Amino acid sequence: MPDTVTLLVNGEERSLEVEGRTLLVHALRDGLGLTGAHIGCDTSQCGACTVLLDGRAVKSCTVLAHQAEGRDVTTIEGLAPDGELHPIQRAFVEHHGLQCGFCTPGVILTAADLLSRGGSPSDEEIRHALRGNLCRCTGYQGIVESIRAVGAAS
Amino acid sequence: MSDTLGVARPRLDAPEKVTGATRFAADGYVHGLLHARPVLATEPHARIRGFDTDATLAVPGVVAVLSAADLPLAGTGTDRTSEPLAREEVVFAGQPVALVVAETEAAAEDGAELLVVDYEPLEAVVDVEAAMEPGAALARTVEDSDDEGGDLESVHGQVDKGQEDDAGEQLSGNVLDRVTREQGDVAAAFAASDAVVEATFRTPWVYQAYIEPQVCTAWLEPSGTLVVSTSTQGSFVTRRELARAFDLPLDRVRVIAEPLGGAFGGKFALVEPLAVGAALALQRPVRLVLTRSEDFAATNPASAQVTHLKVAARADGTLTAIEARMIVDRGTNAGWGVEGATSLLVAGPYRWQAHDLRGYGVQTNRFTFGAYRAPGAPTAAFALESLLDELARELDLDPIELRLKNAVVEGDVGVSGNPFPTIGAVEVLERLREHPLWAQRNSLPDGEAVGMAAGHWPGAMEPASAVCRVDADGTMTVVTSVADMSGVNSGFAVIAAAAFGLPPEQVRVVTADTASAPYAGASGGSKVTYTVGPAVIRAAEAAREKLLAAAAQELEIAPGDLEVVDGVVRAVGAPDRSMTVQEVASKALRFGGRYEPIEGHGGSAQTSGAPSVAAHLSHVRVDRQTGEVTVLRHVIAQDVGRALNPALVEGQMRGGAVQGIGWALFEQLDHDEDGRLLTGSFLDYAIPTAERVPEIDTLIVEVPAPDGPFGAKGIGEAPVVGAPAAVANAVARAAGTRLYELPMTPPRVWQALRS
Ligand code: FES
Ligand code: FES
Repeated sequence: MPDTVTLLVNGEERSLEVEGRTLLVHALRDGLGLTGAHIGCDTSQCGACTVLLDGRAVKSCTVLAHQAEGRDVTTIEGLAPDGELHPIQRAFVEHHGLQCGFCTPGVILTAADLLSRGGSPSDEEIRHALRGNLCRCTGYQGIVESIRAVGAAS
Repeated sequence: MSDTLGVARPRLDAPEKVTGATRFAADGYVHGLLHARPVLATEPHARIRGFDTDATLAVPGVVAVLSAADLPLAGTGTDRTSEPLAREEVVFAGQPVALVVAETEAAAEDGAELLVVDYEPLEAVVDVEAAMEPGAALARTVEDSDDEGGDLESVHGQVDKGQEDDAGEQLSGNVLDRVTREQGDVAAAFAASDAVVEATFRTPWVYQAYIEPQVCTAWLEPSGTLVVSTSTQGSFVTRRELARAFDLPLDRVRVIAEPLGGAFGGKFALVEPLAVGAALALQRPVRLVLTRSEDFAATNPASAQVTHLKVAARADGTLTAIEARMIVDRGTNAGWGVEGATSLLVAGPYRWQAHDLRGYGVQTNRFTFGAYRAPGAPTAAFALESLLDELARELDLDPIELRLKNAVVEGDVGVSGNPFPTIGAVEVLERLREHPLWAQRNSLPDGEAVGMAAGHWPGAMEPASAVCRVDADGTMTVVTSVADMSGVNSGFAVIAAAAFGLPPEQVRVVTADTASAPYAGASGGSKVTYTVGPAVIRAAEAAREKLLAAAAQELEIAPGDLEVVDGVVRAVGAPDRSMTVQEVASKALRFGGRYEPIEGHGGSAQTSGAPSVAAHLSHVRVDRQTGEVTVLRHVIAQDVGRALNPALVEGQMRGGAVQGIGWALFEQLDHDEDGRLLTGSFLDYAIPTAERVPEIDTLIVEVPAPDGPFGAKGIGEAPVVGAPAAVANAVARAAGTRLYELPMTPPRVWQALRS
């Protein structure tokens, strides 16, 4: 039975009809048109669907839309609401942190969580934080360099 | 121009990809869209007796259950385009047998789960070597009466197929293809050699593992045009395949190649016939997005191979003879296989005095073979480069010196019978030798070692064209049909900018659909930059001529006395007599204007190849207790011809090297003995994660390709080729024992350490 769930998405209150089993990733993509959250697997392995839930990176394919009721969801579209690039996004552009870009929104939001914890993470810490984000194109080095650059600048 | 080419620049599409603005093929909104869910065969080999659709059709929202007979297919071919759903005979577990189409994804999923398929099991052919024996059961019993599906082969690479072998070898009907290349007296050459080594090597089925699963949306416009929005490497080849499968005129099929979320050889007309068939049958828009599990089970990974290889050398390291018998598991692909490519590439970029190379393409009830980055090459290099290290060890020679002594140069005749064009094998090996890691190799702690290996990819060719258009704001748009798999659009931008005289920031590149794009082949075979690049240069030059003709009149200076620099047309030697490109263009593009639009078309038809060579150093540690191999550091040197954008070139080198590390250590699609997939998710099939791979040092070597755009070569495939062998050679040194089968998982290494 569909019923209504209300989420705070990228700073705006959004209500939509979902079924009990609807996953957050489907609510975002199909319900709200926020297609920056990608679906790369069905076993919660790839991290392409990663969003920030109350500031923490979660795989939105592992969360029911209902579980996000009233909570703060940030998707890649909302990372830099004023139209400028967020420093992490800028770093990914400048340090070649992407190729096909399919993993990129999830990777950036994982990085946002890591960097929000302060300090300037080591390569080892960065790679550890990325263990749930698969990238088949880059070999990860550009990703690590991008995140390292933001950490070093902060 | 000098500050346009060779400068590291962000990808053109980076800003929209980091903001989530890119619409991938699963992202677009389509009015009235239906969702399809495939039902995959649970049997590896069976006849379909029938379906029980009652429960499925009772699910609210389910619109239809479609089987092969419901799709308006034209022929009876058994290639995956002609037979997107099994007709009567299931030939692998995972083959789509039906589509459930519904108003929502959830309903389609529920309906698919409830569909009952009645199978009559047949004997499954799972062991590729046993499958070759005379009298073996056949993996397919229905004859392919209408097989025209071989066209996809041509998009992957130009590898000649050798002579047919009719030596009278007794083989079963599962052997679909035999390739033989012979030259010289191999037996005599072995007999006269100082060291002879041989071994049998095995590599498994390996999955492309693009992170975007295969996806396609198809609909009919009211005009009758079929529109196909898809994640594909080639829009024109997809159009041709769909027109053939459904007997439609080419101009009624419009294929839109959406931004690719990775492909690596695997995205060619595999899901399109399913979505199209459903859309035509139901006359409504249909989207099919494979789940990851479906993508694992139902698509087209790289072949498993068994390679028997024997090579020899004289005491001074001169290679003498090579003999190979290479068995390629094609699965159900009757159209093409890599036996031709792999039995050519196994000779490597080296000179041989005599060779006897045989390739066998064998059908089994496993998957449908497809292309994966440098098809057939990583396996070939794994075998050859392992044995070259064995020769070096037996002859007490430095492994790099051994290879350098035999590396081909331009004009050397390869085992294909053709002379090599310009090739940077020597330059790459010399550059690799200078890396400090090579000097450190003899002073490493116990359990660590450095291995090296080389590999090459011949490249490919196909005619191509491009259009360059300058708008009234002075910016340029390059139009091609190319699906940007590896960053080629960003390369086109600097090529066009350099050829025209604009800052690269003022050039954008669009991929047009088959209704309007100039022709180019599919992205594959490392041919896009090499073939479309020259077309872009010629298109930019043609546009530049229009610009100069108009500017000549405006400035009253002959076109030959004008130059275009950084978006400004000016008199040679008198730079203050000038106009901006924007001023000229805006005079042309207006009502009553007197000049032709600043636009050009260019084409290319390359006839000379441009092989790329890459060589690797891999520094590994082997844990003697667990058998676990850790790559601590990895170096790749590659001849790229000319690095148009070094940042993107390095990205290809690193990405390829890491995929090679995946081949070496982690990846295998495993079946049980009945032919059912055991490793069908990212839980069981491990691709490299950030934690499990090291930094990759890149050494760019530039040996310009005479016919390449500004000397550039295709570079996407070469970097993966030698990487598994480099890791294997490092493991052999570190463990003191060699592994002949990939991947080198902890249990296998542990076993090897104890035997
Ligand atoms: S789609 Fe959520 S982890 Fe893969
Ligand atoms: S950039 Fe393609 S998967 Fe990461």
